[in-house]
Amino acid sequence: MGERVTALQDSLDRLLDSPGVIGVALIDAVTGLTYGTAGDAAQAGTGTEVSDLAALISERLGEAGAVGELESVVMTSRRRHQVLLSVPRSAGDPLLLAAGLDRDRANMALALRSLGDRAREVLA
Amino acid sequence: MRTPSARNVPALLQALHEEGFTGTVRVSGAPGGTIHLRGGRVGAIETPGAPTATSTLLASGRIDDDAWLAACAAEPDADRLGHRLEATGLIGAAELEVVCTAAVYDGAFAMALRPPGDWELTDREPTLLARPGVEPRPLAEETSRRIALLARLRGPAVELARGRPAPVADRAHPASGSGLTPRHRELVDSANGRRTPRDIAFARGRGLYAVMLDLIRLEALGAVRWETTTVPEGRPSTAPRVPPRTVTSADEPSPRAGPLPRRRPGGGFPTGDFGARDGE
Repeated sequence: MGERVTALQDSLDRLLDSPGVIGVALIDAVTGLTYGTAGDAAQAGTGTEVSDLAALISERLGEAGAVGELESVVMTSRRRHQVLLSVPRSAGDPLLLAAGLDRDRANMALALRSLGDRAREVLA
Repeated sequence: MRTPSARNVPALLQALHEEGFTGTVRVSGAPGGTIHLRGGRVGAIETPGAPTATSTLLASGRIDDDAWLAACAAEPDADRLGHRLEATGLIGAAELEVVCTAAVYDGAFAMALRPPGDWELTDREPTLLARPGVEPRPLAEETSRRIALLARLRGPAVELARGRPAPVADRAHPASGSGLTPRHRELVDSANGRRTPRDIAFARGRGLYAVMLDLIRLEALGAVRWETTTVPEGRPSTAPRVPPRTVTSADEPSPRAGPLPRRRPGGGFPTGDFGARDGE
């Protein structure tokens, strides 16, 4: 049976068009299951680590009095940005879009806006 | 009826994957279940232990009952129901892929909580499918990871599944109400001391494993009380026990060539099923 590109894979592949984005993954924020990846998946992070990190941050924010679900996390190292974005959905457990960005090629503000807009379209 | 003799269900699925099998594997036991394969990939798992993709979509309210029934009436072959749901705009193809894939992993997790009984292969039975489906090896690996993680976090998964979590009455506790996400608050509301995690999963249209993970987090936050009882029971291995592919003798029986494992009166599960029992 030949492999064909699924709708989800197609959505993730399109995210690589954003300047500086080198890898993306769609991850279940509760179970850590990775539903799909595109580009250099290692730069997006593993599903379980990403979901654990998001859960930890969300819990600490809740303890500090924040209300609602976590929307995004940005981590910056010398050469990379790693971005976690909540993917909106009308029902079901939350999903995270994890993206690795090359700092030399990514304008962080523009990349966040672009990824945020496209995260809404990932499940279309 | 074909009579596979693979040592356990993951090994059977792996052998069927290599054949590109399309059809159904019926596994008896508690909870047991039905595994739907298309071209050797697992497209759906139906088990009383966890919600299917259909249950998830309806119980969560993602698709309302009337629209669902209309789609089913318009597309009698459930294998093609996904296309119908997408074409009518009820759900996007990518989201449906996520929902159906999550349900496959959750069904495998629920079935692995207890040792299975016999299995048999039957023809294709139409059902709502994950496309392109999940390969058996990553499915078995993820199932093992989930059971191991629960054991590390809280204890044997099978005991957790039997527990009936209840909300902590102490409203003065900072974590008992405020500070929780809406998802966690809904779960606290559902945990009434009578429902098991499975009951909550079906009621909320969520995965069993996701509910169990959230309950562990809520217990750590002091928002729920989740007492479990220890009942000696071996956890079945979920690791595929297929030997590495080497040159095989023509006389060597294929994984599907042997007799169907049969129960003996009073003998419990046949050996060589879904993992060794009690260290065998």
